[in-house]
Order: sequence, then structure tokens, then C-alpha cells
Amino acid sequence: MGKTRMYIFWLLIVVFMVSGCSSNSSNPNQKTLTLWYWNRGLDDKLIQAVQKQFPDVRINAQKIGGDFKSKLKTTLAAGSNGPDIVAFNDWVTELFPSADRFYDLYELGAKDIEPDYLDWKWQFGVTPEGKMIAMPIDTGPTALFYREDLFSQAGLPTDPEEVHKQMGTWEDYFKAGEKLQQSLGNKVKLTDNIGGIYTQINAQSDKIYFDKKDDFIGESSDSSMKKAWDLAVQASQMGLIANANSFTSEWNAAMNNGKIASFVGAVWCKQILMDAAPDTAGKWRVARAPGGDGNNGGSFLAIMKTSKHPKESFEVMKWLMNPENQVTAFKDINLFPSATQALDAPVMKEKEDFFGGQSTGEIFTESARNVKPAYFGSKYANLNGIVTRELQSVALGKDPNTAWAAALKRVKKELLR
Amino acid sequence: MGEPLRQPLEPRTPYPAATKRKLSSELWKHRKEYLAISPFYLLFAVFGLFPILFSMYLSFQRWDGIGVMTFNGVNNYRFMLTDPEFWKAVGNTLLIWIYSTIPMLFSALVVAFLLNASFVKFRTFFRIGYFLPNVTSLVAVSIVFSTVFSNNYGLLNYIFTLFGLDPVEWLNHTWGIQLAVSFMVIWRWVGYNAVIYLAGLQSIPTVLYEAAKIDGASGIQSFFRITLPNLRPIILFTVITSTIGGMQIFTEPQVLVGNDGGVNGGGLTIVLYLYREAFINNYFGYGSAVGWGMFVLIALFSLFNWKMVQGKGTM
Repeated sequence: MGKTRMYIFWLLIVVFMVSGCSSNSSNPNQKTLTLWYWNRGLDDKLIQAVQKQFPDVRINAQKIGGDFKSKLKTTLAAGSNGPDIVAFNDWVTELFPSADRFYDLYELGAKDIEPDYLDWKWQFGVTPEGKMIAMPIDTGPTALFYREDLFSQAGLPTDPEEVHKQMGTWEDYFKAGEKLQQSLGNKVKLTDNIGGIYTQINAQSDKIYFDKKDDFIGESSDSSMKKAWDLAVQASQMGLIANANSFTSEWNAAMNNGKIASFVGAVWCKQILMDAAPDTAGKWRVARAPGGDGNNGGSFLAIMKTSKHPKESFEVMKWLMNPENQVTAFKDINLFPSATQALDAPVMKEKEDFFGGQSTGEIFTESARNVKPAYFGSKYANLNGIVTRELQSVALGKDPNTAWAAALKRVKKELLR
Repeated sequence: MGEPLRQPLEPRTPYPAATKRKLSSELWKHRKEYLAISPFYLLFAVFGLFPILFSMYLSFQRWDGIGVMTFNGVNNYRFMLTDPEFWKAVGNTLLIWIYSTIPMLFSALVVAFLLNASFVKFRTFFRIGYFLPNVTSLVAVSIVFSTVFSNNYGLLNYIFTLFGLDPVEWLNHTWGIQLAVSFMVIWRWVGYNAVIYLAGLQSIPTVLYEAAKIDGASGIQSFFRITLPNLRPIILFTVITSTIGGMQIFTEPQVLVGNDGGVNGGGLTIVLYLYREAFINNYFGYGSAVGWGMFVLIALFSLFNWKMVQGKGTM
């Protein structure tokens, strides 16, 4: 007697599962596109507007929390059931060896819109073989954040243009830092940490660790690796560094208490700084960075090879990232544009109270226009980790030459893996 | 102890006659029982056994997590054994284990002893109070501790300056990081081990103490002659579990000082190293090899502890 009941039970389960899979949409041609991104990676309002813009598309946008990269990798490793559209951060270059897991956006018509975007940002998503696996979302142009009041007390220039004129190079910036620290009784440090200087100098360069053949170029004279190392060591030896790691509670406290007078950071540091150091509102300014303009961070969109609707996906991406919508995303959640036209929008020039009424957008848009295209290579992060680890021990007293030798040795070991 | 009592059994058909057919019919006869216990085994096979075997396979492969796997021979293991950072991680883990486990188990014993004493009031309250840290979110704890040990603005340094002492840059020194991590472990696990000890203490028959008293033993004598020997299996249990736990410390240093283990890698434990190599640097095959290296270390270390605590002759 139990048997019939069991059969009905299983039948019901199967029916529920099947019906759960089918979409209950009214439009039979509607295609569901799954999108993976992280919180504040894309403008939620724009994602909702996709439905109106594309009546045939139902967008299933999923915010992936936690470790986005490893969840994506797990999905890629599983080989199926992944999203159609997926967001990447600046670790996009780590995916170049697996470029065949994504659609070549050039084949879907990306060439037509290429001129609308900042060239260096666009090239970031193109493999050395010329396959475009990811298209730009936002950028992270860098600039010098500095405390106007502290600079003024130390007799340094305070106007952003003057600051840039007098501190156009890292050497000049360090010299000014010495003066600043002396005049303020050594209670304030010029900048936050040694790794930050190293990373930012490399971010201004077009040749860092690898050439496009993925050969290591860190030891050649035109790469920035050694230059960045030497400058970072110099800053440390001049005593200009507070040893506060970026965005830790230590860093927040040092910023809020006025123990750090300046740092070079990307445009997204604005929000972090505002949250970390509310007591210093109105005292910060932004100038073009010493050593030149650079980029740090910024994300991308790609289409996975497993997607059944690459064309539709690309249309949606194109629309989401068009110049107008980039301006909207900037207004809504401060995503700094990658489309050149969007950089000209009036909203980019708005004055900000936290920066004493300065329009920092003028500085950052200018910086964004002047970034040099760079090739990072799939092992950029590994190498950067090795070198900054050694630099940290230099900041705490290790002999720089020993540390450099150790870093190079470890890097070479890493390259053989 | 422990020898199962053998009841004289009814004469049965001798086992060697059992064939495959017989086994399957046995299985079929007890199918309901097997079905009832199957969920655990199925889940274990999928989420436990398979990953373990797969990581064994993976440890001989080169794999970035996305691309194709290529056979790598013993290269992963060779790299591990020759990588100074791996040995540094092993050293750090052992040091943190020593800094944390010895004071932790000792204070747990003291706490348990006090909780067991008849003069303590509100015992349930204290038991819950001591156990509470164990169920607190580890990440939250780590964040709180990171503000306690913060270099310039930490609570601890605030107290130091109140007493006219110089602030210490805790997280800029290897020992400072290890101390902070050990402190977190101690704070979290004292109560847990105290509860286990307490159960052990309560299982010691009071007649032993009474007999000792009649024979004129002092309190200290009965602690060392009665309490400790009777607690020995319990102590062994806590030592083994804290060895296994201590070898796997990860969240505390990761939240406190980041994926690199902080300045000079002072907080780089074996699992943090494994995590960094696999999930940050994308060497998943290598990460698996490190996992197996860790397995060997834990096994050896547990064996060593077992011998130590058991003492000679009792094995």
C-alpha cells in the first residue's frame, strides 16, 4: 500500500523539478541572461533598466559575495552552468592563459565601439594574441591626495597646480616631504606605506615585469621594477613612511588623526578616505601625482564560452557601458568612467566639500586620459606580492641590497613554476 | 579498560563458507538498515572522501584553477620541501601552537578545577561565560583583537601609555603577531577545554579522594596522585584536538595581518600559506601538495604528543 504513495511522491518531485526549470515568462522568445558581479561592481539601477531596453531579455543578475575570484574559478573548472556575463576585476590578466573560455568580443563587433573608450583601458582586456576577452567597466586613475592645511603649515605649495609643479617627480616629492616632516616637528609622516609607493610607481609605467611574450623584463633598464624599488627604499630611508598598511584600521586612524599628510591613490580611494577620516573633511586636496599619471584597479565584463546567447549578452554589455550610462553609474555609485565621452560630462566637474570645494574630477579625468597602456602578464600579482613582502622588511630595517637579491631570487623561482 | 566482553555465542555456520552471493543476500536482508545509515556515507563520499582523493591526484598536477591540468610529477612536493617560506610557515605554526596550547590547557585545567570546587557560586553562569568565546564569530573576534593590538592606536598601547610605558608596534614584529594570534586562540579555547576537563573531573569517583584523606594525603598530593592520573586520557584528548586545531590556524592571522602573514611573514601559518599559494597565486596543484604535507606533519605531531602524554609503559 505504501508503494503507490511512494510513486506519487516521486512523481510530484519530478514534476516540481521540471516545472521549476522552465521559465514562466509571458514572452516565448525571451532569453534569460545570467550576470555575475559583486556589490557596487555595477549600477543596480541600470541592470534593472536592461529589461525595459531589451524586451526580449530577462536579466538574472546575481551578486556574488565573498571571494568572487575563487567562485568564478570553481565554476569555470566545472565547465558548465556558469553565468553568461561575468565581471572581472583588474586580475583579468590572470585569465589570459584561459582566454578560450571566453568569447572574443572582437568577433561580436567590439571593434565598432573601440574608439569610444580609453585606449589603455581597452587594451587591458586584449590578450597578446589579439583576442579581446573583456570590455571596460570603470577605471582607477591615480593622483596625489594631500592635506592642504599641513602642506600650508610646512610652507609647501597648497594649490593643486603648484603642488604638481613643485612635486612633479618622486624625488621632489620626497624632498618636500622631508621639509614637511621637519617643520611639523616629525609628528606627521609624508605618506602611508612602502608597498604603496612601489605599486603606484609601477602603475605609472608601461613596462613592469613582463613583455608581451611573457618574458621577464624586471632586470632591464627600461622596466620600472628596479626604479620603483629604489624610490620606495629611498623614501623609507628618509623616514617618510608611517608603516600603516592601506585601508587597515591603523590606516584609517592615522588618516583621521592627521598623522599622514599625503598618499598617491586611485580615484576610488576618495570614498574610503571619506569614510575613514571624517574629522579631516574639507582639508584634503587632490593634485596630479608625482612621477606621472597611472591607473590602479578598475573592472571588466566578459562573456563565457558556455553562454548560449553571446550576441544578446554583448548587446546588453554594450548598452550598460555606453558613455551615457557610464555617467549615470558615476552619479549613482561613483564608478569612474572608461568611455572618453563620459569623462567630459559636466557631473565629473562637480565641487566636493570633503576636498574643500575642489573639483577633483578635473584632476582624475586628466589622469585617466594620460595613462600609458601597460601589459601586466598573468603573474603580475604573484610577483608584486613577493617584492612588496621584501620591501616591508626593508621598511623595518632589512638591508635593501640583501632584500633585493632575495626578491629577485624568489621571483626567478616563481617564474620557473 | 576497553576489552569488549565476549558472550558465548550460539554455534553458527563457519564464516569461510560465505560467498559473494551470501554477502549480497546479507546486504539485501538488511537493506532498510543500510538505507537508513546511507545518507551520512553518501554525503561523506561526495563532500569528504572524493575531495580527499581528488586533492591527492591534484597534488601531482600543475593547475591554475581554470586551464588544463598537466602532470607535474613530484615537482610540487619538491618545490614545497625547498621553499624557505614553507618552512617558515611550519616554524610559525609550531611556535604559535606552543605559545597558545600550553597556557591554554593549563588555564583550562585551573578553570575546570575552580568550577568543580564546592565554594564557587553561580557555576552554570561561569560555565556558559567561559564557553561563550568558542561560539563567537571568528572573524569578528579577529577584528576586535586587531584593534586591541593595533600598532599606534591599539587598546593595549593606550593602556601602556597610561602607565607611562612606550607603545609597542605589535604587528610590526614577528613575535608580536604570533603573540596576538596565540592570545586569540587562548581566549577562544580555554572555556571549551575547561568544560571537557570539568566532565573529566566529575567522573573521578569521590571515594578515591575520601580514601586518600583517611590515609592522610594533602590536597596537593591528591591533585597530583588522583586527579592528574585519572584525567590523563582527557588531557590526551585535549592535547590531540588542540594539536590538530593548532596546526590548522588560518582565520586569526588572515584577518589580523592579511594574506601575506604580515611583516616578515610572522603570521604566515601553514594553512595561510596554502591559501595564498592556491587561491591568491593560482597554484591549485601546489596547494593540494601543501595540504598533504600538512597531513603528514599533523600525524607525526599527534603521534609525538600521544607518546609524550601517555608516558612510557602505559601504551
